[in-house]
Amino acid sequence: MNDQEKPDTSRRGFVQLLAGGAVAATAASALGSLAPAGGAESTAKQSRIQYGMLIDTRRCIGCHSCSVACKAEFDVPLGVNKSWVEYTEKGTFPNVNRHFLPRLCNHCSEPQCVAVCPTGATYKRPQDGIVVVDSGLCIGCKYCIQACPYDARFLNPVTNFADKCDFCIHRVSKGLLPSCVNSCIGGARIFGDVNDPESEISRQIAANAVTVLRPGKGTEPNVYYIEADITEQAENSDGSYRVRVTTHRSIKERR
Amino acid sequence: MHELNWGLPVILYLFLAGLGAGAVTVSGSVLLRKGGFHDSRMDIARYGALIGPIPVMLGTFLIVFELGQPFRALNLFKMINLSPMSIGTWALALFIILSGLYAICFIPRQATWPWLGKARRVLAWLCVPLGISVAIYTGVLLGAMPARPFWNSPILAGLFVLSALSTGTAAIMLTVALFGEKSAEHREGRENDQYLLVSSDALLLGGEMLVIFLFLMFAHLTIGDVRHAVEVILPGGSLASLFWWGVVLIGILFPFVMELFQVVPKLLYGRTFRSSLVLEVAVALSVLAGGFALRYIIVVAGQVTGPTTL
Ligand code: SF4
Ligand code: SF4
Ligand code: SF4
Repeated sequence: MNDQEKPDTSRRGFVQLLAGGAVAATAASALGSLAPAGGAESTAKQSRIQYGMLIDTRRCIGCHSCSVACKAEFDVPLGVNKSWVEYTEKGTFPNVNRHFLPRLCNHCSEPQCVAVCPTGATYKRPQDGIVVVDSGLCIGCKYCIQACPYDARFLNPVTNFADKCDFCIHRVSKGLLPSCVNSCIGGARIFGDVNDPESEISRQIAANAVTVLRPGKGTEPNVYYIEADITEQAENSDGSYRVRVTTHRSIKERR
Repeated sequence: MHELNWGLPVILYLFLAGLGAGAVTVSGSVLLRKGGFHDSRMDIARYGALIGPIPVMLGTFLIVFELGQPFRALNLFKMINLSPMSIGTWALALFIILSGLYAICFIPRQATWPWLGKARRVLAWLCVPLGISVAIYTGVLLGAMPARPFWNSPILAGLFVLSALSTGTAAIMLTVALFGEKSAEHREGRENDQYLLVSSDALLLGGEMLVIFLFLMFAHLTIGDVRHAVEVILPGGSLASLFWWGVVLIGILFPFVMELFQVVPKLLYGRTFRSSLVLEVAVALSVLAGGFALRYIIVVAGQVTGPTTL
């Protein structure tokens, strides 16, 4: 793959010009949390595309194909992951079980990483709701890494920019599926526009009991799960049953 | 183990910028307070102005190299948004420039030219609110993240301001003790200065105690994320000994008791205030050490804890 096919995040300036002047757009986004959104903006919010993912953990066999495909797609450096699979083992022999929880950035509708970024390098693309990092602006201050409740971000040890899953913009914009979806051997990942009621993902979300991770943080994630086991190791404390969470990351613990 | 994305440079920045901003704020407030003040109070204003900007600049230098892209730091000035880091950066930049000018105005001891005295006052009016902004924004910055339950509290910003003012006061106290005029005719003025500094610092330390008590009490009475997070500094937690020995005992209780011991005879019984060099230096150093320990604990504790449920 040559460089031109990489996601072109610097096009945002152009998008903002379309939205009525770069300065006005910046001011509007800066004030967005103060003033209630104007009529025009709220309609735009409803009608635009919001990409999301539905992960059916019943179909996941914990093979790490997604993690490997993502690593290969972006040449993600050693020790960091945009996509990873956590194992939750629990119970006492012989009543034991192991659940798999594939993880990635949730492309939140209220992303705190965006709210805290001092340079505007992290932003939510208005055209498709994907949260991206503009590597031309990022200074590597790591504020977004601290603020993401899902630990989905990291400082790329090679480029020293904040980095994370970008829903494979370079593939999606050409009509391909994200690499992790494409490679999932269990068919556990469904990718699509959650704002389009006719899409496969919207129909599956409507038909199943779904959850998002840490809904209480107010981030409004766009990655949904069917039967996600969110048991935490801390629940081990009363000793009634055993829990062991393996994150398969260099950061050994969930945070 | 959890990853520490923010390490020693950030801790030192929080400590040094707080100290410097605190010293300049104290200096400006003393300068601007009209009437009732002995001539010698000028010394407090002068020392605060002269020492304040240095730690702020040093801390800023350090934190730039904590960035993944230090040579891009100027990107911060391409825009201003509602991120506490963005607002804080602008305040910090303004503060560095204005407090630098303010310090330059204090290089000559006497305001020989009338415009110099005026310049000092104008700059003091600007430096006091900016100094408080620099001291407070770091607490807002850390407190703004629900992903970090240990930090996610508005009281953190209050704690940071109090700690900045008290370390700033301690730094002035130390400078006056070490470099202030020691000749006999200055004795009274000097003791006046120390009385003001020591009593203000006792007040600030009292405030810190109150805030820490509230922080611990609310964390302890609640359940879930915050309770779980605060356990790292409660007895048995991994940071407990540094917190209780370093912050509470050395950083607050010891200097607070010593300061009361010095201040109370004059405050309550109108006796003459007696200060001793050894005590001044010891109190100032312990406040500074405690201030550093506090920043260390808070930066580390926030990162080694997280929400308890997925
Ligand atoms: S999961 Fe984290 S990094 Fe991704 S959009 Fe949400 S807050 Fe930002
Ligand atoms: S590390 Fe980069 S993307 Fe993240 S908050 Fe800082 S400047 Fe923004
Ligand atoms: S969508 Fe692309 S970047 Fe995101 S986890 Fe999947 S493969 Fe990685």
